[in-house]
Amino acid sequence: MNKNNKKSVGFILLDIFYITMAILPLGVGILLKLISTPPSDGGVTISGARVFWHIDISSSNFLDIFITEAQINSVLVIITILFVCLFLTHGLKQKIWLKRQHLAEIIIEKVDSMVADNMGEPFKAFPPFIIAIMALSAFSSLITLLGLFPPTSDINIVGGWAILVFIIITYYKMKCGLGYYIGGFMKPVFILAPINAIGEFATPVSMAFRHYGNVMSGAVISVLVSYFLGQFSTLLFGDGAISVFQVGLPAILSLYFDIFSGCLQAFIFAMLTMLNISTAFDADEYERRKKKKLEKKPKR
Amino acid sequence: MFDEVLNIISVNLWSIIASLLNLLIIFLIIFFVLYKPVKKMLKERQKTIEDSYERASEAEAEANASKEAYEKKLEDAKDEADDIIKSAVVTAKAREKEIIDSAKEESEQIVNQAKENAQLEMKKAQATIKGEIVDVSTKLTKKLLEREINEKDHADLIDSFIDEIGEE
Repeated sequence: MNKNNKKSVGFILLDIFYITMAILPLGVGILLKLISTPPSDGGVTISGARVFWHIDISSSNFLDIFITEAQINSVLVIITILFVCLFLTHGLKQKIWLKRQHLAEIIIEKVDSMVADNMGEPFKAFPPFIIAIMALSAFSSLITLLGLFPPTSDINIVGGWAILVFIIITYYKMKCGLGYYIGGFMKPVFILAPINAIGEFATPVSMAFRHYGNVMSGAVISVLVSYFLGQFSTLLFGDGAISVFQVGLPAILSLYFDIFSGCLQAFIFAMLTMLNISTAFDADEYERRKKKKLEKKPKR
Repeated sequence: MFDEVLNIISVNLWSIIASLLNLLIIFLIIFFVLYKPVKKMLKERQKTIEDSYERASEAEAEANASKEAYEKKLEDAKDEADDIIKSAVVTAKAREKEIIDSAKEESEQIVNQAKENAQLEMKKAQATIKGEIVDVSTKLTKKLLEREINEKDHADLIDSFIDEIGEE
């Protein structure tokens, strides 16, 4: 390293600050989990997120305001991602002198080329959104490694993302005009309109349930296997013995369900987002309409 | 304290809206904190590279131009040298001719001068010889005749005699 590439003290301090601020939320999450979890009675409990605060507005749960573990963890993940991003772009230079810059450039170039391949020219502005989906989904799933409740195993969280994607899809479908959008439901025959409408709403629902189901099922299987192994050792060595079978196998399952599946689902969700949005937009029709408009304008 | 737990599937409007907003916030964070600065840096880097390429090609063109100019100058210098030598040869030849001509002229002059001198000498010698002859003949006749004659008449006589001889 030559003299120019030496980190100054302020630079290092800022680095330490960023790293601390990225780790701190996760620590807070773990602390919260430790405080809020009541001692378990040993049985199998498979449930949703723990509720921290419940404001009764109406009789139904749909309209009540819940502050749950899932939401708290989502916010913590957002803070972590913010500081990870700050850390990655800290000390950005044309001439690379920090290893982290490689990572930042790789992420952006990969996603750029992915978006260019799957979506094409009209969607040049999409890479940040795709990175956002990937990062949020992956971090939310990987948070289970710390023993925290993964927000992605809450249908509301994933459902929110899917609805946002659905809004974008509908926006791009309506870009060619409302009449064209409604006419799209009548294809190929107008009797199929209800089925087309169902298909339209099936997209976000399937996206949400795919992601939610994968993460949730992983957690359920992990708990079940772990419980079964505990029972098995109790059966062999009697009550109160150390459950030797619980060592090892759950770790391998976790490797698959938490790390691999978490990253894979993030990738799949991003991929589906890209494909659904790009197929929703009829570029040829849009160009045709634009040309028509341009032809009309000079007459006025 | 926190005994309440949600069902495994429980749909809640506010949670959905909150997570939708969360995704938007993450999008903004990624866009402004990660994507924009890196893209900007990449663009700047691209520009720097293109600039340096441009500068390199410019420098190459400049070098080629100066090389051409140099070669042209060299050729010009050669031509000039040839010209100088040629003109020098011409001048030298001219000068040579001049020198030779002047030498010839001088030599002719010298020869003419010499001829004139010789003639002059000859005339002088003739005069001297004439005088001597007069003297000698006078003395001779004096001795021969042993008599006093008028020296002046005698000289006149011999002079006329010699003149007669010279005219013959």
